[in-house]
Amino acid sequence: MDDKRGRFEAQVLPHLDAAYRFARWLARNPGDADDAVQEAFLRAFRAFDTLRGSDAKSWLLAIVRNCTATALKGQQRRAFVELPTDEEPQADEAMIATTPDPESAAMRRDDERTLDRLMASLSAEHREVLVLREIEDMDYREIATVTNLPIGTVMSRLARARAALKSRWLQESEAKPHAVP
Amino acid sequence: MPCPEALRVQAYFDAEVDAVAAADIERHVEGCEECREHLADLERARSALRRDLTDFRASPALRARISRALDAESRAAAAQQRPSGRARWRTPPFWMGAVSGVGASAIAAALVLLLLTPLLNNPLVDDVTAAHMRSLMPTHLIDVASTDKHTVKPWFAGHADVSPVVADFADAGYRLIGGRTDYLEHQRSAVVVYQHGAHVINVFSWVANNRRLPGSATRDGYHLLFWQTGDLEYCAVSDTGWDELQGLAQLMKNLSLHDRPG
Repeated sequence: MDDKRGRFEAQVLPHLDAAYRFARWLARNPGDADDAVQEAFLRAFRAFDTLRGSDAKSWLLAIVRNCTATALKGQQRRAFVELPTDEEPQADEAMIATTPDPESAAMRRDDERTLDRLMASLSAEHREVLVLREIEDMDYREIATVTNLPIGTVMSRLARARAALKSRWLQESEAKPHAVP
Repeated sequence: MPCPEALRVQAYFDAEVDAVAAADIERHVEGCEECREHLADLERARSALRRDLTDFRASPALRARISRALDAESRAAAAQQRPSGRARWRTPPFWMGAVSGVGASAIAAALVLLLLTPLLNNPLVDDVTAAHMRSLMPTHLIDVASTDKHTVKPWFAGHADVSPVVADFADAGYRLIGGRTDYLEHQRSAVVVYQHGAHVINVFSWVANNRRLPGSATRDGYHLLFWQTGDLEYCAVSDTGWDELQGLAQLMKNLSLHDRPG
């Protein structure tokens, strides 16, 4: 059993930040992202024997995606959130970053906020393929594994997501020309 | 009207094409202004996202929570591997009397493997067994302790995603001792906990999802019995015998037949 734990920590735990980033862009707030990631790791640990040499990161992110979707579905059905979150204060609906970011200068923060806001305004379907491709640097096959989509759909969805981001970006720069790079 | 090569240009940008196709696309891009712009846009968007999107990181608190959850999970699994003396004399595995000696565990392992092979890929059996094992750890069995179905049933309404049949069958030997919720099948499943003699029986229930249910399974020495009533799927898990599990399942099925409105 300790051996399983050790192998799990070596193969899966290194992807914790990626799992959290992904959940954070899919969930409504940091608390939900935390809960989804914790649940995902527990499920991943229980199902670890089924991993068998396939790519641990895609496998884990697919589980994270399921857990996040379940959490969101639960919230839509219910007016209240059952489990209190203790680590971070609940953010409001928008997905603006609430994490402190000491090293980045004020200007960088402006750009970040703009881009975060643009990303948050996209549909979840578009957001997830963009995060997987551009931030996690996954190839089409890996994205297909995570999202459970055919590769062709990944490709066309990615194209639509990029077009949507660009059009938001253009709207933004028309309104505030200095705000986008 | 977008250039028909746009998707191929994107695939080229994402390094998804082989060298021959890449050369072909490069030739096209040289002569197509629209695709040159497209390529530049793709590059701009990527570098902006990689540079300026907030880099979320898992908090140390989350890291610690996960570590604690894995500890609990490992302990549950380890406890299952070494059953306590008390559990052993009360609930000898069914094959214990039949086989003994050096070859016993090998034979048993082969037998179990043979029986379970068609089910090895069913994560549901693993999940339910793990949830059952975890429930047997101290303080994990019951969230709401009550022998009164009028207490347990309403409690589920606020804590689980389903509202299963709840009843006390003490007359038939199945004493209702409480309820709990467990995360299973992507939902907060309701678990009704019964005591039968010295054995604990967990009855899990969740919304059916069109997956074919195994009828029954044995995993890690526990018996799992599945059935469906209406749109809910049930699974009774215990280290008790098959007959006892069947008995409880039958009582619950009868009750939901009577209970069904209309």
